[in-house]
Amino acid sequence: MRKWLVLMAILLGVTSMALAQTRLVIAGRDGGYGVVLERAIELYRAQNPDVEIELLKLPYAGLYEKLVIDLAEGIGAYDIVMLDDTWATEFMSQGWLADLEALGYTPDPDFVDNALAVGRYPYPDGTLYALPHVGNVELFAYRRDLFEKYGLPHPPKSWLEVLGAAALIDRYEPEVSGVVFRGRKGNPIVTGFLPIFWGFGARIVEDGQAAVASPEGIAALKLFLALKDYAPEGVEVYNSSEVKDALLGGDVAIAIEVWPGWVPALDDPERSQVVGLVEIIPAPGLVETSSPMIGIWLLGVSAASRNQAAALDFVRFITSPEIQRQLTLELGHPPTRHSVYSDPEVVAKYRWFPAQLAAMDSAVPRPRVPVWSEIEGVLGDYLQLALVGEMSPEEALQAAQARIQEILER
Amino acid sequence: MRCHPLFFKLMRSKPAPKRPWHERHFNLLLLLPALLIIAFLTIYPLVNVVRLSFYEYNYLRGTPKFVGVENYVRLFRDRFFLDGLRNTFYFSIAATVAEVGLGLFLAILFHRRFRGRRLLLPLLIFPMMLSTMVVCSIWRSMYHFDYGILNHLLESLTPAVNWVLGLFGRSPLEPIRIRWLFDPDLALWSVVLVDIWQWTPMAFLILLAGLQSIPRELYEAAKVDGASGPALFRRITLPLLRNHLFLALLLRSIDTFKIFDKVYALTGGGPGSATETISFYIYREGFKYFNMGRASAASVVMFLAVTGVSALYIRQVLGRTSAQ
Repeated sequence: MRKWLVLMAILLGVTSMALAQTRLVIAGRDGGYGVVLERAIELYRAQNPDVEIELLKLPYAGLYEKLVIDLAEGIGAYDIVMLDDTWATEFMSQGWLADLEALGYTPDPDFVDNALAVGRYPYPDGTLYALPHVGNVELFAYRRDLFEKYGLPHPPKSWLEVLGAAALIDRYEPEVSGVVFRGRKGNPIVTGFLPIFWGFGARIVEDGQAAVASPEGIAALKLFLALKDYAPEGVEVYNSSEVKDALLGGDVAIAIEVWPGWVPALDDPERSQVVGLVEIIPAPGLVETSSPMIGIWLLGVSAASRNQAAALDFVRFITSPEIQRQLTLELGHPPTRHSVYSDPEVVAKYRWFPAQLAAMDSAVPRPRVPVWSEIEGVLGDYLQLALVGEMSPEEALQAAQARIQEILER
Repeated sequence: MRCHPLFFKLMRSKPAPKRPWHERHFNLLLLLPALLIIAFLTIYPLVNVVRLSFYEYNYLRGTPKFVGVENYVRLFRDRFFLDGLRNTFYFSIAATVAEVGLGLFLAILFHRRFRGRRLLLPLLIFPMMLSTMVVCSIWRSMYHFDYGILNHLLESLTPAVNWVLGLFGRSPLEPIRIRWLFDPDLALWSVVLVDIWQWTPMAFLILLAGLQSIPRELYEAAKVDGASGPALFRRITLPLLRNHLFLALLLRSIDTFKIFDKVYALTGGGPGSATETISFYIYREGFKYFNMGRASAASVVMFLAVTGVSALYIRQVLGRTSAQ
């Protein structure tokens, strides 16, 4: 009898412990983003041992598919979701994310305005559905030593200066290509092209209508294609890893698109052959001022989550100034807060942070339409056809415009 | 004439009682679970895909709207789908023929006993055991224009080529380097080459098993009758290997027709639409844009094409079997 009582007591104890423990599931990214999330979970668990957190580290496309299915069906398998800002409009307009202010969150003015705005619907000052976690913004990189060697004005202020510098360096430096960008079809080529496109004053969607084939858009594409003449062979299939290798290996003078996530590698002597020689700046402008593309990764709470309060508590923790600062110093995490960008210790470690903050302040988000994924795919298809010479810039953008219009009208 | 007593006994006996339903349909009952699973996992989704192909339906927005054959009309006006259809056929035919041809050659080679055979056999089937993403990663680095080993090898051959050209009074060539993955005329064939490297071992194993099942006595008898090597191959090996050849062709053509992973990892469908395939098109429409109606229409076209090809092969194999 006594044995039974002891067994019952143990069972009751285990059950009550299990019930007392809150369990959160995070659907997040893999790679460096996953490492940051893991470290944040470690820090959070040290303060909140009664919260169990499971992290799913997923690749870009896999994360999107899983989130759409889970959120659309209201399954609630994930409590916290990490989302690219281009998905945000779609997710928020469908009511798939919880209203953070209704859950008790007060927006913090320390966040960079452009970063916080993409987590709101309607953009830029509607309901707050997600907080900015990764301060990704497209940056521009150039080799200061080569610009000085050829007496080129630097930093380049316009895309025409970039074209001229790329042509000159490509001609006189036998081992160095003038410029590099991501030419792979789909998201990579669109991402590489947009700062030029916006710099020319062109727009993808204007007043709800497709507008890519404007004279400004065509002029931007012509400049983009002209840059290809000074890019390494095979740039048509280049993705991030090839751009990174070319820049780190000292094989290119200019990269029109680099990202905060891997910029620290440029000053790492173990990985880079151009330590201290590469300058990082916001993208140049032309008709418009600098128009870098913002690519914030947000954290939101699933509307179907059964642990919304606990989920918000973790999101608040990971985006807090102290934790962002720690993650930035330890892991090079791109922050989304002014206070971290202006922290002397952080700036001493990452010399390009003032430029990164300037880029965030002048950044342009991709169109806030729910069908952006499809628009981006279509634009990427036709930009590539122009890049490989199967279509003229005019034909490519007119064909893209017709398809985008059809998507908008559907 | 007296009747046998058993006759009267049988006449008096009652008719045999009817067996219960479950005994009469026992075979059907045994098959039922499997049939239900097939119906649930195969037939229902197939019927649903066909139904959806007649609707404009985006999973993220709105409810399905019946549009008749509009999705099909749109497909056959879309250059990316048409390019994908053409590329899929080219890919499937080239990869299947090359894999089965090479597999046959290797099977004949390995059917004989030679020194080192035991060591080489596992090495030969090694590519098949690798994950496709690993294979693509290896080949992507080998295909790199500047740092790839293939272009490095070709470059190192240039002096020898120029020496030969010099003998004929021709001007020397620039260092030979090939734009493997980004030349629109070459990219598809570069992907085909990766598939051949990975999947020839499968055709090889099927055909080796076929060769090993042919009785040696047949060859011995034919040799006694004076048959030579080529005649033995034509008259004995090929006819008896026919079913295995068709099996290898069927399996490889179905698999290559579904090509997706290599395109995804190596080229993303580019450059331009040079490596676009039907599976890649379906993936984009279905899982990136969630246009389920259009993805379903493309899937139906693909299903019909695969069924057509399979039917041809199966007819050949079954026709032959029943004739025997």
